[in-house]
Amino acid sequence: MGKVGILGVFCLALLLWAGSAGAGTTLNGFAESAAGARWQGVDTKRDDLVLLESRLQLKAVHYVDGENFWAQKQTMLNFKGDFFADGYFAGKTGFALREANAAFSPVPFADIKAGRQVLTWGTGDLLFINDLFPKDYISFFSGRDDEYLKQPSDAIKTSFFQEWFNTDVVLMRPRANLTPEGDRLSFYDSFSRQISGRAVDRHLVEPPDQLSNLEYALRAYRTLGSNEAALYFFRGFDRNPSSYKNELNRQLYYRRLDAYGASMRGPFLAGIANLEAGWHLSREDDRGDNRLVENSALKAMAGYDRDLGNDFRAGVQYLYEQRLDYTAYSAALLPGDLCFDQRRHLLTQRLTKQFRRQTVTASLFNFWSPSDRDGYLRPALSWQASDRWSLVTGLNIPWGDDLYTEFGQMQRNRSVYFRSRYSF
Amino acid sequence: MNLSVLLAVLVSFAGIAAFPACAADTVPVEDIVARASRAAFYAGSDGIADVRMTITDARGRQRQREMRILRKDVEEGGEQKFFVYFTRPADVARTVFMVWKHSGRDDDRWLYLPAMDLVRRISATDKRSQFVGSHFVYEDISGRALEADSHELVSAEGDTYLVKNIPLEKKGVEFAWYHVWIDKATFMPVKAEYHDAAGTLLRRITVQERRDVQGHPTVIRSQAEDLRQGGSTLLEFQDVRYDVGLEDDIFEERYLRRPPVQWVK
Repeated sequence: MGKVGILGVFCLALLLWAGSAGAGTTLNGFAESAAGARWQGVDTKRDDLVLLESRLQLKAVHYVDGENFWAQKQTMLNFKGDFFADGYFAGKTGFALREANAAFSPVPFADIKAGRQVLTWGTGDLLFINDLFPKDYISFFSGRDDEYLKQPSDAIKTSFFQEWFNTDVVLMRPRANLTPEGDRLSFYDSFSRQISGRAVDRHLVEPPDQLSNLEYALRAYRTLGSNEAALYFFRGFDRNPSSYKNELNRQLYYRRLDAYGASMRGPFLAGIANLEAGWHLSREDDRGDNRLVENSALKAMAGYDRDLGNDFRAGVQYLYEQRLDYTAYSAALLPGDLCFDQRRHLLTQRLTKQFRRQTVTASLFNFWSPSDRDGYLRPALSWQASDRWSLVTGLNIPWGDDLYTEFGQMQRNRSVYFRSRYSF
Repeated sequence: MNLSVLLAVLVSFAGIAAFPACAADTVPVEDIVARASRAAFYAGSDGIADVRMTITDARGRQRQREMRILRKDVEEGGEQKFFVYFTRPADVARTVFMVWKHSGRDDDRWLYLPAMDLVRRISATDKRSQFVGSHFVYEDISGRALEADSHELVSAEGDTYLVKNIPLEKKGVEFAWYHVWIDKATFMPVKAEYHDAAGTLLRRITVQERRDVQGHPTVIRSQAEDLRQGGSTLLEFQDVRYDVGLEDDIFEERYLRRPPVQWVK
């Protein structure tokens, strides 16, 4: 189970003890079984499956009671963790701690949340420009609940609330995205120049876990009438291993990254519209002439979401990405290097329709990039059979003309999945 | 998840009589509906209640929703803010639904999903959609704009006024007209029946129990029934309190992400 597991069990025991000592503790959770079958594998550990697992999630919330200091500061303790048995990896068991944090208000105009926590901001729907908190794309592509797209961060988040604007200041340990690694999901391996699985021979070099590598994320935001405006800043590391540390030794790493951004969201034409933009500055290649380090980029998106009545909603988004210093980039490439496009256009559509008093939900999320000529179709059907039981089934259909694009490289991971959950 | 309806139900039927009993049966109908609207939706300057919603489908299967609702009036008879903190069932526990109700334009709605720490904005154009899958619709809870219907006083016999309401804009409305029974003493709406153009009864809302809370007549239990397809929703209020002194800033993103401990524990 490891150190984290023991820590998790300890936290849970502590919360249960605190709970038995008084009211103010709630304990919830669920037990879930999930299976996902794939059409066609490429050298992954199982060529017939993507998912075969059971998990037990426990979450506890404790409000500190009484007349003590922590009660006066409105302290709240949160815990959430998953015990799992993973049939995909021959029944491997483990524990994943998702939340273990304390939230309190030291002074009336500020909140602090310290510990392991899930962090989200920004305006996109499954598209992220200024939300640079860690994601889990293995879960996303293999058919787990959307909740698992978000990885937790070990962080201290301090929020200040003022009349003119509010500010969040997050200090966190770097944590890389979980991206397809070859065991469960195949992907395009830039060394072997093909879609690969377990045969992948590459090394991901993560930033050392040291004080000087702590990351900062800032958000300043306010409402303007019915609209919400925000400014963002991030200083840390790329979440994806997009750059080469040492090409000969097949080492990829997470380059240093700064990001500056802004967003706006509010009512528009009987729906909700959002605009968001960001400038991602590649600090180790700010002139763009290092072929081993990913260039700076400009990203912008616009979205619109609307309730069309009868429990039917539709949303569309457009994302534009531009690789900066493109002339320097293309000039620096060596013969035989892959040459990525300067511009990328991505469209998404979300359709959601509910039936039977909102107990049956049919949804379709579609990514489509006309410039990359790839996409990813995610239809799903869920049924809330009772307050306790729910069933979900869905498809993951990534496709693409090329093997090296974002979704094209996932095309051998098409799957159908099924999950059943008992909540308590 | 469509939470909007729940809010509406809560507010409209948990209301307080803002007006004293009116003796004469000669009150113009526009005054009656205006007073009923204010009586039903603006009890005290703020309020807090625990709400249990039991949804029974046509085959008798039941689902339950439990929530703590906080309400604050920005102006008497005008703008209001709502904070709905779900406690049950387990899969929606700690979800928050927040509304800034406006007059003359669409409301602002937010949904907070704790599992992803996600604050989502929701469009508020469809006011006739089901509130969290119940038999109440959004307008049952937050109130239907008086200007949306023409009003006709059908009778003033006994203890109630009977008012017939016909929507001016038929588009996006599932009924052709509806009757509302309004208690003469408190101006509290106690029953509503929705009909289609052929006169068939589609849906009925009945206040089953009322109680005086801090001098405000307050709905303790009400039911909405689907008379076409069957099924009903029972709405029960507990621990209703008014004028508790809710702070303005509770209805902000800060407390979506971190629930106001003093009000929800």
